[in-house]
Amino acid sequence: MLADDFFLIVWDTTGTGKPRLYVPGIALGLAGALLGELVLEERVTVRGVRLQVADRQPLREYVADRVLADIGNSPQHTEVRTWLAYFAQRALPDVTGRLIRAGLLERERPKVLKRKQSRYFSTEFGQAVWPSTRLRLSLVRWQPLTTHDMALAALVDACGMTDSVVEDPANRQDARRYLTTVLAAMPQPLRDLSSHVSAAVGDAVLTYRT
Amino acid sequence: MPTAHSRTGPDPVSGALAADRLGAPSVVYFVLSAAAPLTVVAGVVTTAYAVTGITGLPVAFLAVGLVLALFAVGYVAMARHMANAGAFYTYISRGLGRPAGIAAAWVALIAYNALQVGLYGAFGAAAIPLVERWAGVTPPWWTLSLVAWALVALFGVMRVDLNGRLLAVLLTAEVAVILLFDAADLFAPGPAGLSAQTLSPAALFVPGVGALLVIATLGFVGFESAVVFSEESRDPRRTVPISTYAAVAIIAGLYALSAWAMTVAIGPGNIVETARRDGAETIFVIATGQLGSVVVDIARVLFVTSLFAAMISFHNTTARYFFALGRERVLPAAFGRTRPRTGAPKAGSIAQSVLGLVVIVLYAVLGLDPLVQLFFYGGAFGGFGVLLLVFATSIAVIAFFSREPSGESVTRRLIAPVPAAVALAVMVSLAVSNFSTLLGVEKGHPLAWVLPTVYAAAAVVGLVWALVLRAGQPGVYSRVGMGAKAVTVPEAVR
Repeated sequence: MLADDFFLIVWDTTGTGKPRLYVPGIALGLAGALLGELVLEERVTVRGVRLQVADRQPLREYVADRVLADIGNSPQHTEVRTWLAYFAQRALPDVTGRLIRAGLLERERPKVLKRKQSRYFSTEFGQAVWPSTRLRLSLVRWQPLTTHDMALAALVDACGMTDSVVEDPANRQDARRYLTTVLAAMPQPLRDLSSHVSAAVGDAVLTYRT
Repeated sequence: MPTAHSRTGPDPVSGALAADRLGAPSVVYFVLSAAAPLTVVAGVVTTAYAVTGITGLPVAFLAVGLVLALFAVGYVAMARHMANAGAFYTYISRGLGRPAGIAAAWVALIAYNALQVGLYGAFGAAAIPLVERWAGVTPPWWTLSLVAWALVALFGVMRVDLNGRLLAVLLTAEVAVILLFDAADLFAPGPAGLSAQTLSPAALFVPGVGALLVIATLGFVGFESAVVFSEESRDPRRTVPISTYAAVAIIAGLYALSAWAMTVAIGPGNIVETARRDGAETIFVIATGQLGSVVVDIARVLFVTSLFAAMISFHNTTARYFFALGRERVLPAAFGRTRPRTGAPKAGSIAQSVLGLVVIVLYAVLGLDPLVQLFFYGGAFGGFGVLLLVFATSIAVIAFFSREPSGESVTRRLIAPVPAAVALAVMVSLAVSNFSTLLGVEKGHPLAWVLPTVYAAAAVVGLVWALVLRAGQPGVYSRVGMGAKAVTVPEAVR
């Protein structure tokens, strides 16, 4: 699912077990991905700054259905930014929990300092590197992307991770140019959603408490 | 955005989002810790006495505080309608048009960079006595400045922010030391007794008063940042205004008191001479006789930590200005990207650091004075830039509300903003005509007209740049002043 793929890109689960992106950024990106899953499945629509439930029928997946139920139960909140902030608070445990239950991830809790970030290691190398490999190959070779991967690329870019996915600096300029055309061709709801993630990430930089 | 109070029963979403929101005291702490009070009292105030040779600074702090409080009424009201509330150019862009906004953005970049770079000079000058005491050697000032520079550059890119709690402790200690020094000064008045001469409004009617007004404005820089926390505060409509007024009142009271207490201890007639002799040591020299060397040593350490906290704060402010402009594509897009591992606005941070290094090296090579020619000139020049921004914003507030009343009361739209704008206009014109006093140079000295001209030139370049953008990249032009939200403006509007 979208949030799983996003997590496997922003978290180094095959090496150090540590995040590749600062954790508040990951949380916003994952929140965007959780909403994106519902947009892709046409349960939720995004239009401009607003978000609405279109179809309350569950996806039969625990995390996604909880997200859907939460939005459905609070129809007074319609702003994408509100929901991003809300789901960002629990997106990391939600998504890692889902990957752990699927047997794809193991969690290593810090032994001494309880407040430190847990490490996460994937149980299967191929599955762990596939999302970022897939994105890199598509972007570098200018291959068409599925709607799912467009959304993934858009979220990765919104969190400033494109350069980490396209590792070779020589490819970055071309990849970026292709990404621009991909993003322009993406369905409007996904484009709006990822632009709000990008704005939320940027605002977090601007309002950071010193 | 949701408010903390829902109308119908408990709201899990609002409740969860409100859980870690800030109250007014926290916001005031954030604002004041960036303002670094000991930096102003020990560094700016004493140097100002020495350079300008006039003594009305205490009453100038009160006067400027009043004007800024008046200005803040409209400012915080307009902040609620701004996408990037922390930056003056956003307001100017909305109120006076995008060309003025871009011109203001250039002015702001120069002003905040000047403020930040100036601090390196003060750090060198303030740390030397400590190194002398502890290591027994007297290194040149720029070696210490370079150490601080390297740390700030590293912290900026690594996004190592000083811990909020640590900053709060340092701030509390700074204020305690300042109040202790003030009390000691007032209990042991100098030759003139408890003279209120420097607190009387008459002290403002002297030649060169414009210089005092710029220096006082410099002391308040940072008061504008409470609005940044509006989305993070418990009740933005109350928390942000209260914090802003509280910050202005605390700054005005504390600085006026301290600047006055110094003149009481030495005598208003002697303060200029003493400050010229002792420089940044002035308050420590006075206090050594009254409080003993242990307290004074603690204060010296706090002066250095205060400078360091201010450097980090201004460094981050400047880097974020670059970042916001990068996100709007007014500057190259690279400025709008962050370092993934830390989320630091990398390009802006590096640009700021490079500028700092160039200036430190230049001053070291030319053998210029770190305290007066780097710290004070940087501060005065930057403070003047901020005064220009506040003035332009005060006009923007009036213009904005005359077009879009936005349901604000007439007090917020006109009754407070108009007198504030008039007072700020007077301040700007006095500042321009007294610029030579501000720098302590004779009338007609090239610096006295070159420095103000820099802002004029920056504004002209900004205006031209705006017109170029409007013709060539209307999409970018339409997003000026949106900050990070620039990306959400739909394609059709672009």
